[in-house]
Amino acid sequence: MITFEGAAKHYPDGTVAVAGLDLTVESGRTTVFVGPSGSGKTTSLRMVNRMVAPTSGTVLVDGEDVRSQDPARLRRSIGYVIQQAGLFPHRTVRDNIATVPLLLGWGRSRARARAAELMESVGLEPSQAKRYPHQLSGGQQQRVGVARALAADPPILLMDEPFSAVDPVVRTGLQDELLRLQAELRKTVLFVTHDIDEAIRIGDRIAVFGPGGELAQYDTPERLLTHPVDDFVESFIGYDRGVRRLAFFPANELALREDVLLDDQDTVERALNTVDTAGQPWALVVDAQRMPLGWVDVDRLRHEPSGLELGRLTLTAYGHTFDVERDSLRAALDAAVLSPAGRAVGVDPDGRVLGVVSQADLGNAIWSVS
Amino acid sequence: MDVLNELVAWFTDPGQWSGPAGIPARTAEHLQYSLLGLLISALVAVPVGLLTGHTGLGGFATASLANFARALPTIGVLFLIVLLVGIGLMPVIIALVALAVPPILVNTHEGVRQVEPALKDAALGMGMRGREVLMHLELPVAVPLIINGMRTAAVQVVATATIAAYVGVGGLGRYIVDGQARQDLTMMVGGSLLVVFLAVVTTLLFAGLSRLLVAPGLRALAATGR
Repeated sequence: MITFEGAAKHYPDGTVAVAGLDLTVESGRTTVFVGPSGSGKTTSLRMVNRMVAPTSGTVLVDGEDVRSQDPARLRRSIGYVIQQAGLFPHRTVRDNIATVPLLLGWGRSRARARAAELMESVGLEPSQAKRYPHQLSGGQQQRVGVARALAADPPILLMDEPFSAVDPVVRTGLQDELLRLQAELRKTVLFVTHDIDEAIRIGDRIAVFGPGGELAQYDTPERLLTHPVDDFVESFIGYDRGVRRLAFFPANELALREDVLLDDQDTVERALNTVDTAGQPWALVVDAQRMPLGWVDVDRLRHEPSGLELGRLTLTAYGHTFDVERDSLRAALDAAVLSPAGRAVGVDPDGRVLGVVSQADLGNAIWSVS
Repeated sequence: MDVLNELVAWFTDPGQWSGPAGIPARTAEHLQYSLLGLLISALVAVPVGLLTGHTGLGGFATASLANFARALPTIGVLFLIVLLVGIGLMPVIIALVALAVPPILVNTHEGVRQVEPALKDAALGMGMRGREVLMHLELPVAVPLIINGMRTAAVQVVATATIAAYVGVGGLGRYIVDGQARQDLTMMVGGSLLVVFLAVVTTLLFAGLSRLLVAPGLRALAATGR
């Protein structure tokens, strides 16, 4: 547990980096400090490992003032990940990861064994052990950065905008990896970012910092989206917070329609019967394994020979699907909005169609959770 | 081509290759002075450069001192010291050290200063103490530049060690000084060629040394760098 008690940082020129922070970071959870630049989030994070000394107030780790410990010793017990990884260019991946264990006097072979173990858990190939940082991509470098921070198995992990320098696709991958690791390791993670989406995605608790180093709101992601305390927080979160909030509701409670699923062996005549019975303008054609093939609409069917098999028609693309078990209402809504048929296709983890849901049905579901 | 024939004759004369005034003996003297000068310079300049680079203190003083020393005419320094302490090896070595310290000092200082602040932040944040940051990060990253400075210094020292002859302690400079005194062009050119040859060998030696001492991860950076 990390406790900030009136921790403030004033610079001699009068600038206030942190105005006086009172906040408790829970153990075993991911807490995100988010805010615009100059809001004091990084300064606050750096108070924890004494990279910044507060001008007033204190920071406690498990009830003990961080100033009561030797800084080097304290820092060795706290993992630290910085932007663009900060890897040592003259050391191999393996030796970069082994840095803290070597400082702690583990001995080379034990430190390297630990490094190999960590490379595996952060998703690096063993063949990369003897490579140098400049031979790696930005995303791989950051994985090494995370492995290096975890090397001595510290209970606390400080992450200072670790993923902000990589492209969005890689960033999402790194976030997934962090979520997976965190589910397994249950570290006390303190994560700084200026990206509210990233904060909502990975945080159990989010502290929104405002201008002048003031803490504006400290809440769960869901509370933050439903009840922003003031105009600043609301505008910082962005005006699509209503849609984002849907990310917290599972898609598995949606009522999926199965009566508009057609086999590619079915005839046009049979298809017309089906859609008429269902009273729906669109039907989804699937193959023998129930994998989606595409949409077909009623008007189109009326112009085709009644004996023709559906598999011979050119179908309307089904767009992207949502995983009924794992995705949220947000993903389902997104799939429906992007679908040419205005309907989203729900699938199981293997991609087999479980059913479809229209925008209207989604609207009702959203209404019921709001 | 009389000069060329005479040079060939000068180099192939068996008498040139033995005795205390022969080419091997003169080369050995020359190398000995150069090596001694370079070694003392490195022992002075590298630690001081590491210290000023690491602490960030004395950067201006280092640069000023180095520039001042660069502007000194080596032969002037030599005679000044001879006036102070008398003839012998010591004035030669001091003059060579005055020549070699600036490039090594400046490069070491710069080599440490150019370490990215983010890397130092990472090193400190992981719990390295000042000394550990210096030894595990700043020094290894500065090695390419330090070796560069040493190479510059070494080539200058090898070329300048000829001044030893002015104060009567031998070296390859003897051929140049004696040749001048005797109006013997062949001898002067022969001596100069030997010095040039040594300077080239020195350059090659340092190229090999940097292959050996620069961490492979830094080579790509060193190739693009200064």
